[in-house]
Amino acid sequence: MHIPDSFIPLTQAIVYWVIALPFIIMSMKWAKNELDEMKVPVLAALAAGIFAIQAMNIPIGMGTTGHMVGATLVAIVFGSPWAGVLVLTLVLLVQGFGFADGGITTFGVNILNMGVISGFVGYYTYVTLRKSTGTSIAAFGGAWLGLFTSAIACAIQMWIAGIFPLVPGLITMGTYHLIIGFIGEGLITAFVITAIAKSRPDLLEDSFTARPEKSKKEIHA
Amino acid sequence: MSSKSNMKFFYVGIAIAFLLAVLAPFLASPDPDGLESAAGGVVEESKMSQIEEMEPVVDSPMPDYSIEGLGKSGEVLAITVGTLAVLAISFGFGKVFKKKA
Repeated sequence: MHIPDSFIPLTQAIVYWVIALPFIIMSMKWAKNELDEMKVPVLAALAAGIFAIQAMNIPIGMGTTGHMVGATLVAIVFGSPWAGVLVLTLVLLVQGFGFADGGITTFGVNILNMGVISGFVGYYTYVTLRKSTGTSIAAFGGAWLGLFTSAIACAIQMWIAGIFPLVPGLITMGTYHLIIGFIGEGLITAFVITAIAKSRPDLLEDSFTARPEKSKKEIHA
Repeated sequence: MSSKSNMKFFYVGIAIAFLLAVLAPFLASPDPDGLESAAGGVVEESKMSQIEEMEPVVDSPMPDYSIEGLGKSGEVLAITVGTLAVLAISFGFGKVFKKKA
């Protein structure tokens, strides 16, 4: 879902940058408040793994492929969607400058779609589902819906950019990403979160108590 | 939580990342992704070829995760270098921005 430079006119790309910027700054603030030294290796390993898995395009039929995005996974592990925004920003930075995957003018819109929209929708869907179901199903549902929602946002941006017609764009992007979200995002996220829940349950301790940041701050105060 | 068990998480994580980096050029499908495929389906051909002619804003050293003339091994190398770069940048960022003790 990486939008290349050529897909969005510069003025619109700047608008998306302006919208994305506060989210990027907030994700850095999250790191300053919540990322303790012991968790830096966890963040780095997740970022490296997500970069590598994004190179793994899975065929979904119809001559189309898709790959995992990963913002929901990171958000669940750290119990905060800001962690997902942060990791996707770092991954997209390397992809855009190093590998012409995504773009530089479209760096902002790609952070908005893959980091912010997929991470926030994915994480809060997970938190909601987690109240009534198990970790695996909640992780699957969150990751799936997060990825699908970001694809719908992308189709609308493509329409505003004058590239896609609205309805066919929504239908095509929606159909592809329902499947990509199921396999590439949902199943992989559920698998990894389940593995972490078994081997390192302590890491997920405050993953669904919504806003663990606040309770920790209160303790410090 | 201990820093020791987090280091274990780190080693397992980067082992998986590098395994993926080595396997991706052989296992990943070369077909277009959802966005490119949708563009091919819903955008008129004349407009599409116009878009495709536009160059990216900056030249990337390893466009499309490949190194010219090196084939599959170049792709393995490109993705490995990228994985290392993400690792280094994340660590660097973590060092600078982490919570002050």
